[in-house]
Amino acid sequence: MNLPANNLAIKRISASAEPATPGIREMPEIAKLVDISRCIGCKACEIACKEWNDLKVEPTYNFGSYQSHVDLSPDTWLLMRFNELEIDGNLNWFITKDACLHCEEPGCLYACPAEGAIVQYENGIVDFNQENCIGCQYCVAGCPFDIPRFSKETRRVYKCNMCIDRVEAGLEPACVKTCPTNAIAYGTKDDMLALADQKLTILNNRGFAKAAIYDPEGVGGTHMMYVVPHGDHLPDYGLPEKPVAQQGAMAALAVFKRIGAYMFGAGILATALHYLAVGPESPDSDNGGG
Amino acid sequence: MRKNELERFNYGQRVVHWVVALSFLLLMFTGLAFSYPSLTWINTLLGGGAAARVIHPWAGIVFSVGLVFMFFMWVKSMFLNKGDREWLAAIKAYARHDRERIPPAGKYNGGQKIFFWLQILLGIFLLLSGIPLWFPEVYGSGLLVTMRFLHFVLALGAGLFLIIHVYLGTIAYPGTLGAMLWGSVTRGWARLHHPLWYKEKAGH
Ligand code: HEM
Ligand code: SF4
Repeated sequence: MNLPANNLAIKRISASAEPATPGIREMPEIAKLVDISRCIGCKACEIACKEWNDLKVEPTYNFGSYQSHVDLSPDTWLLMRFNELEIDGNLNWFITKDACLHCEEPGCLYACPAEGAIVQYENGIVDFNQENCIGCQYCVAGCPFDIPRFSKETRRVYKCNMCIDRVEAGLEPACVKTCPTNAIAYGTKDDMLALADQKLTILNNRGFAKAAIYDPEGVGGTHMMYVVPHGDHLPDYGLPEKPVAQQGAMAALAVFKRIGAYMFGAGILATALHYLAVGPESPDSDNGGG
Repeated sequence: MRKNELERFNYGQRVVHWVVALSFLLLMFTGLAFSYPSLTWINTLLGGGAAARVIHPWAGIVFSVGLVFMFFMWVKSMFLNKGDREWLAAIKAYARHDRERIPPAGKYNGGQKIFFWLQILLGIFLLLSGIPLWFPEVYGSGLLVTMRFLHFVLALGAGLFLIIHVYLGTIAYPGTLGAMLWGSVTRGWARLHHPLWYKEKAGH
C-alpha cells in the first residue's frame, strides 16, 4: 500500500459559499475495487466494518435470504446483498457490496444544505460530519444509490466513511483488510482501473462475455468500483444503470438563492428609501370629528 | 380598545393575526438560516440546526392552521369591489401620499385585500411544497428538487410582501399597529385611511 498517510486535503464542502482552499500537495485518488466473482459470501467485511467503526449490533432474523440484514441502517454501513436469479436454467447469486460508493460527483453533498455536514476529500472519500448535520435527509433523496440512513435517535445521517481514520494513517479500509479471498482490492484509482481491466479479461476468458466494470459516468465515476460477471444484469445487482447526481439543478438553486438574497435586500432598501422620500402619513389632527 | 377610539379588530382576530404572524416570522428566520449558511447563527440561537429542522415544519403546521382561521374570519370582507379597483388604479397616488387623488377606501383598501389573497395562496402552496421536504426519504429526488425550488420561490414572495406589510402597518402609517395590538384606532386615522369605513362606523 504505497499511499501517503495524512492524505485528507478537502476538495468540496457542502453548502459552502466558498470553495475549499486549493491544496498544493499532490495526492492520488484512492479506490476500492470489488470483484463480485471472487466473493464467497462470508460477510467477514460486514463484521470488520462494525468492529472498526464501533457500530451497534442489530438483531437479525431469517427472512428467507442468505443476507444478514434486511437493509442498511445508521448502525449498518455495509451490507452484502444476495439476490438469487436463474439464468439459462442455472441458479446464480447476485451479490452486491452495498455501501457508499464515494462518488466523484456526490449527489448527497450537492443536495446537502448544511455547511460542512458533508465533505469530499482530494483522495475521493465522501464523509458526513454529524456535528454539522441538521437531519433534513436531503442527502438520502440526493444519493442515487440510496445509501445514507437517518437515525431517529440522534436525528443525524450516517454512512460508510471508507474507514477514513485508517486511510488517513496509510492503512486500507477494514473490509479490504479482512476479506479472505481478496475480492476487495484497494489502491490508487488508476491502479484499480488497471486491475479492473485485468479482472475483466479473466472473466471474459472464463466465459462471462457480458462481464463489466461499474464506475458510472453520471456521478463522475466512483471510489468504490465493481467488477460484475453479468454486466447485462445491473439492476439485479441493485446497481442503477444510469445514476445521476443532479449537480446542475443544485447549482441552479444556488443561483436562485443568490438572486433571492439580493431581492430581499432590495425590498428592505426600497421601503427605507420610500420612507425617506415621503415619510409617515398621519392625520392632521387626531381628535377632530366624531 | 382605547377610550374614544373606534374598534377595528376584536380580541379573536388579533390573536389569530399574531399566531399567523409570529409563526411566519419563525418560519422565515429558520428558513433563511437553512438557505444561507452565513445565517446559521439564527438557528444556533434556536438550539442548533437540527432543532430548527424539527421546529420549522411544526411552525408550518401552526401557520397553516392559523391561516385557515384567518381565511374564514376575513374572507367575507376581502372581495374586491368597484371602489377597490379604482383605489388600485390610483396606487401611485397612494405611494406618494397624494391625499386628493386616493379614492376612499372601506375597512380594507384594495392593496390590503390583494395582500390577504396573496398570503392565503402562497400559504397553501408553501404547505403543499413543504410536505415533501419534511419527508424526503418518502419522495424521490426528482420531486424533491422541484419542491425545493418551489418552496424557496414561494417563501421569497411571501417574505417580500411581508416587508411591505410590516412597513405599512408600522412606521409608514403611525397609529395602525394599535389596531392589531389593542384593537382600536383614532377617529382621525380612520377618516384619513379608511373614510368609507369611518362613515359606517361613526354613523355619518
Ligand atoms: C411582524 C409581522 C406583522 C406585523 C407587524 C403586522 C401588522 C399588521 C397590522 C398593524 C395590521 C392591521 C392593518 C389595518 O388595521 O388596516 C395587519 C393586518 C393584517 N395582517 Fe399583519 N402583520 C404582521 C405579519 C403578518 C403575516 C405574516 C401575515 C400573513 C401571512 C399577516 C396578514 C395580515 C392580514 C391578511 C391583515 C388584514 C389585511 C391587511 O391589513 O393587509 N400579517 N397586520
Ligand atoms: S453513494 Fe450516495 S452517499 Fe455515497 S458519495 Fe455517492 S451520493 Fe454520497
